[in-house]
Amino acid sequence: MRRFSMPFAVWATLFVTLFCGLVLFAFDYEGPRVDSLGLSSESLAYDTGAANLVSAIYLNIRLYDTLLEVLVFSVAVLGVHFYLGPRGVEEQVEGIPESHVIRTSAGLLLPVIVVLGIHLVLFGHVSPGGGFSGGVVAASGLLLCAVALGAEAVGRRFHETFLERIEWGILLSILCLACAPLALGRLPLTDVLPQGQVGSLVSSGSIVLYNVLIGLKVFIGTWVIIHFFMRHRGEI
Amino acid sequence: MTIARGALLVLLPVIAILALTRRRRLAAIIAMGLFSLILAGVYLLAHAPDVAITEASIGAALVTFVYVLAIRRTGRLVVVGTEVPGLLQREGARVGGLEHEILAGFARHLGLDLVVRLVSREDVVAAVAQGEADIGGGGLVAGGCGEGVLETRGYLPTAVFRVSRAGQRDVEQRSDELARGYLNDVTDAVRGGKGLDVSLDLARFVCVSRLDLSGYVVNRLPGECDYTFILPSGREEMQRRLTRYLEGLRESGELDRAVGRHLT
Repeated sequence: MRRFSMPFAVWATLFVTLFCGLVLFAFDYEGPRVDSLGLSSESLAYDTGAANLVSAIYLNIRLYDTLLEVLVFSVAVLGVHFYLGPRGVEEQVEGIPESHVIRTSAGLLLPVIVVLGIHLVLFGHVSPGGGFSGGVVAASGLLLCAVALGAEAVGRRFHETFLERIEWGILLSILCLACAPLALGRLPLTDVLPQGQVGSLVSSGSIVLYNVLIGLKVFIGTWVIIHFFMRHRGEI
Repeated sequence: MTIARGALLVLLPVIAILALTRRRRLAAIIAMGLFSLILAGVYLLAHAPDVAITEASIGAALVTFVYVLAIRRTGRLVVVGTEVPGLLQREGARVGGLEHEILAGFARHLGLDLVVRLVSREDVVAAVAQGEADIGGGGLVAGGCGEGVLETRGYLPTAVFRVSRAGQRDVEQRSDELARGYLNDVTDAVRGGKGLDVSLDLARFVCVSRLDLSGYVVNRLPGECDYTFILPSGREEMQRRLTRYLEGLRESGELDRAVGRHLT
């Protein structure tokens, strides 16, 4: 069955071939070196107290960008509320029970996934990870349970309005934390907490706090968005 | 290290094409998850472990789960039907029969997973009319399903028999009203010699006729009827496709072979 026009097929093939060629020939590219950007990795770690340079950049040097990213995420959650809330709750269709194997393995995997998420959040300033990825990891553990047990069974265990209040409380605390240096007579968005020893858990000042708050916010927000879709539209 | 990265990069377009060409949605989703996982490996080898973790957690885990939850309703062809020996019956833990074979082929044709739920006859029409199921089956006879549902063109001719207890023939009943409820209720009534006045299609009648029918009056109602499938109103496109699929089966002789396998 012919579904595409000839010029489209030719251009598509050309584009895909070029792209694949580019990717394959550039595969020994090592990426930009931190030193060549005018930043020394040692001085960056010394300045911020974070052994993970990515965290040092997005939660200290470029904190303003991250705050706006968190705001964008909150606006997304708000938009889902605003448009799906007035639709009313969809009549529940009887869930199709998954097999015993899936339900058991979901129960076994959930603690491991949640612990991994917590680890990524807490050690985001020392090793790869951080609030965003840790929160998403924990939320996907919850989604795994939603696949295995049905979304409503999981949703009943959470108090949705309470969760939403926590989420807005977290946003407020992040903004307060960012403005806190003003009270000490310093510029906002600067780190006023002691940096500690680079590489230990209690180090890098407020980066740990930001990671924990962002991780919780992403975890709650992801679950609320997906559960809202399922409850008000009957499907995603 | 370089070889590993080259191998992963060669795999990426292969998996992408695999994901695009799968007809079954679940297979395509799993291929997409695999793509993200391999991409996470590439990021890791390119000294970007933070990006790799994010790609693995969002691309391979979160998005895959969201898609799996989404196709739980759309990726299935939900069929409701009454249990009728030969047409739609339990075979151990599975469901089999002529209608099951036809609909399983149709689901494969559409790239969907077939789910069959066996319910009573009223529930079949109600579930289809409310759109809870995509197709209703189980020995439904054309013209007898009422308003609010679409019917496909009949796929197999049948006769309709009326079985009633002697002395009860004065009971008024519309001839097109078929056996209500489960076939088990009818067979139980015949075994117990209870009063009965039902119309049965051929497959159900064959089943009942194996019992002792002395004391019952059996009439073949005039006219020919056809077995059919019903669909929710508003699903004209699906109705056309199913009718075309059934015609294709009949023309290729596949339908006759399937009838031979299941009904003789």
